Amino acid sequence: MIVDSAPAFDVREYLRKEMMPHFLCPGCGHGIALRALLWALHELKVDKDKLAVVSGIGCAGRLSAYIDASTFHVTHGRPLAYATGLALARPDLRVVVISGDGDCLAIGGNHLIHACRRNLKITCLMLNNEVYGMTGGQVSPTTSEMRVTTTTPLGNSEPHFDACALAAAAGAGFVGREGTRHVPKLAELMLAGLEHPGFSFIEVLSDCTEIFGRKNEMGSSSEMILRQKSELRPEAYRDTVDTPFRANELPTGVLAKNARPEYGAAYRKAAAAIKAAAAKKGRK
Amino acid sequence: MNGRRATHSTAAPGPVPAAPAAKAREPMNVLIVGVGGQGVIMVSKALAWLAQSKGFEVKQSEVHGMAKRGGTVFSHVRFGPQVWSPTIAMGEADILIALEWAEGMRWLPYLRPESGVFLCDTKRIVPPFACLNRHPGAPMRYSRETPAEIREHVGEGYAIAATEIAEALGNERAANVVLLGALSTALDFPIADWEAAVAQFVPKKTLTVNLEAFRSGRDWIEQARLMTPVAEAPVEAQQPLTNAPGKVRLEITEEWCKSCDICVKLCPERCLRLNADRIVELADAETCTGCRLCEWLCPDFAIRVHFDEVALEGSRS
Amino acid sequence: MNAADSPLAARPAVQLVSGNHACALGAVAAGCRFFAGYPITPSSEIAERLSRALPEVDGVFVQMEDELASMAAVIGASMGGVKAMTATSGPGFSLKQENLGYAAGAEIPCVIVNVMRGGPSTGMPTRPSQADIMQSRWGSHGDYPIIVLTPASVREIYTETIRAFALAEKFRTPVILLYDQAIAQLTETVQLGDGMPCAERLWASGAREAYRPYAAAPGAVPAMARPGDGYRSHTTGLNHAEDGFPTQHPETVERNLGRLLTKLDSHLEEIASWECIDCEDADVLIVAIGISARASRRALEQCRSRGLRVGLFRPLTLWPFPENALQAAAAHARSVLVPELNTGQLRLEVERLLGRDRVAGLHRIDGEPIAPEQIAARAESLAKGTP
Repeated sequence: MIVDSAPAFDVREYLRKEMMPHFLCPGCGHGIALRALLWALHELKVDKDKLAVVSGIGCAGRLSAYIDASTFHVTHGRPLAYATGLALARPDLRVVVISGDGDCLAIGGNHLIHACRRNLKITCLMLNNEVYGMTGGQVSPTTSEMRVTTTTPLGNSEPHFDACALAAAAGAGFVGREGTRHVPKLAELMLAGLEHPGFSFIEVLSDCTEIFGRKNEMGSSSEMILRQKSELRPEAYRDTVDTPFRANELPTGVLAKNARPEYGAAYRKAAAAIKAAAAKKGRK
Repeated sequence: MNGRRATHSTAAPGPVPAAPAAKAREPMNVLIVGVGGQGVIMVSKALAWLAQSKGFEVKQSEVHGMAKRGGTVFSHVRFGPQVWSPTIAMGEADILIALEWAEGMRWLPYLRPESGVFLCDTKRIVPPFACLNRHPGAPMRYSRETPAEIREHVGEGYAIAATEIAEALGNERAANVVLLGALSTALDFPIADWEAAVAQFVPKKTLTVNLEAFRSGRDWIEQARLMTPVAEAPVEAQQPLTNAPGKVRLEITEEWCKSCDICVKLCPERCLRLNADRIVELADAETCTGCRLCEWLCPDFAIRVHFDEVALEGSRS
Repeated sequence: MNAADSPLAARPAVQLVSGNHACALGAVAAGCRFFAGYPITPSSEIAERLSRALPEVDGVFVQMEDELASMAAVIGASMGGVKAMTATSGPGFSLKQENLGYAAGAEIPCVIVNVMRGGPSTGMPTRPSQADIMQSRWGSHGDYPIIVLTPASVREIYTETIRAFALAEKFRTPVILLYDQAIAQLTETVQLGDGMPCAERLWASGAREAYRPYAAAPGAVPAMARPGDGYRSHTTGLNHAEDGFPTQHPETVERNLGRLLTKLDSHLEEIASWECIDCEDADVLIVAIGISARASRRALEQCRSRGLRVGLFRPLTLWPFPENALQAAAAHARSVLVPELNTGQLRLEVERLLGRDRVAGLHRIDGEPIAPEQIAARAESLAKGTP
């Protein structure tokens, strides 16, 4: 249980303290998400030397620089592709990807669905704040309908992605969603994802106060965090029958889980067969 | 499973089933409580349907909308030759069925003192956000009563691991029907009618498992009645609620604080504030419970909660 | 693993192999243990060969979802410490430019094979071309150093593939192996397997506290940290300081970017490679690469048999261009002829070095290689001073 060991966890042991304070805006939910990840890694007793974090471009992509591990801040939308190469070449490493909603679903959407399908042991966190924050607040694939952004001045009229449904449909071994509001739950979900033998996809609902919140008059960071309470449906209440009360709520917790073979192991097994066949041929 | 049964049974020795027949014209009051999604309504519907089919007048009254906000779901079922009031007054429930441990504790005052039957799942659903540690030394803010303690307060009580039983049968969601089976031992209806009621309200695909769940719940209670009470163990190992084992101290990394105010606004005790430099500080150390919410929600890692050891009187360092 | 340990090295000395096959064999011999690719004509045979050959030597082959991903996966594997390669052709090469720039900027060794086919766009997938000469140098945005090798025979594809890995590892840079469809799918009898030593990357050693990922003297190549070795360093595509973290501090950027952009300059002798045939007395110097160089070789023989003093300068390292070698070879030439399968990309570089007055081009863009007779005729007219 993640709650019980809280006192033993000091997040600073996992941060590059010389890089702090980080560059995120005041009240940015990404910092909370980063804490949850580091907490889950602490619970997992991950060796920092064997931890590789790959991140893309954007506010979320910058997080890797603050983690005391081997970190790779790569190109926009491609962290899963880089991580695929890294994880296949180095199965001894624990590979975590940090991506944002634009990084993961727009420019990197193809890599996401194929990473889900391939089911290689990588944990992918998608920090969803519904906006391209670093470029100044443009509409993203997860921006809710009618939200105002710098490129949807009268409100977004494009429907938004359900990233978890997408990942589950594409075959991800583990799919979950949680908000930054409930840190122990979020850390627990990440822990479960990290422990899953195959590909795990976790959508973290994070808040962008400075740009998205301000543009949409959503109040302070604390108000945005409290807002999550009305938007997210706790896992325990997922299947309640009184759906009229919750039609608009996003389910949280573990949303999909399957036991498909992990790709790295499957590949090594197939490779061993090729090697054996070659050896046999060589003897003849 | 057997081990847990013995551990959790709080049955008083000897058969003391409260049968509706004994109460002649008085209505039977059954209160069913739980958390949204557990199937409280299904249990009450099945009971109401069954009672009505036996020619009783039935009143069922439920509130479930609150579950949306992490609240509770409850249903009053009253049946008898003649029933006027739709709700059960405090201290008048003949039977209290709780699908969740803390909900059982919450509704316990409704149970009839001395004669009420208490059937409670040991399942614990810790409500999000409300589970935060609000007191030094306490692991979570959740019902700390153990079945052994509750036994003192009820006439006849059973803490049944209904969810575990249902899980063992292959469908966790059949836990409510396990409790329905337990309920069947306290009411004088033929078993075939109970099973018809189950069939009426569960999805067809899950009928087999639900019937098994029903019988498991029924068997469990019947076996528990035959057992003498044994030494009690708590439902889960609980950290003792000690009185202030240490003093809460907040370590604040001022250079990292960005004055976002999240900690100040979301502190349950309102004991934080921003100082003149707009850096967080602990304004009221006495009310701080060390719940860590500020530490967790600080996006800038600027707060760390410590529990300093307090030297006991007379001890030397 | 060195070449001598490879099971492939133990195969018969004389083989009949295609250019793309030779590339796969060279990669394994060089110690390549990771390949990520995406099907594209006319380079797919490299992927097909390696999908079998790599598992035999405990390597990994993966076919990715697109060209961008395969380039990214190669860099990811290389960041993990494994020699890695990808192969593609024109349209795929365009897509790889994004991540290729990352490899150049973050100094991640890798080898990219670009089998040139007709362009632009989808062009002529099964016809040869030499129109990616400039893209191979300048394809990604921003200034960056790059090494491009242009083999002209099956045997050379094998040896240049090994050299590509050696240069990539030693100088921490992407190396592009650029050859045309005609050579890629040409099958020749060759002798392989006389393995060449392949340089290994300089790995970080010593105390973690003292390690600075991009600290190196001007002209030197910094040691790389292998994940898992305890250095826990940061790699980014942003302009970075010696510690690997992003910076926009003008002096720091200039110092670090300056080192990056000039890191190959002090090693040009080691990187440069070219072939000179009959250059000493040449009145007409032909400058050509790949299939055009092969045709030029034949044309040279035809011209010489007619008593014309024609020479051939063939760069094997295309970029950085062997400037001094070309200038020396062309010292006495009255005319320089550049036959190529494009409208003048190599000619542009030759003109830059030798001036426009004495340089003439011979270009073909119809999807057919230039015939030796065409080159010989043009060389003859240049030799006789007729335009």
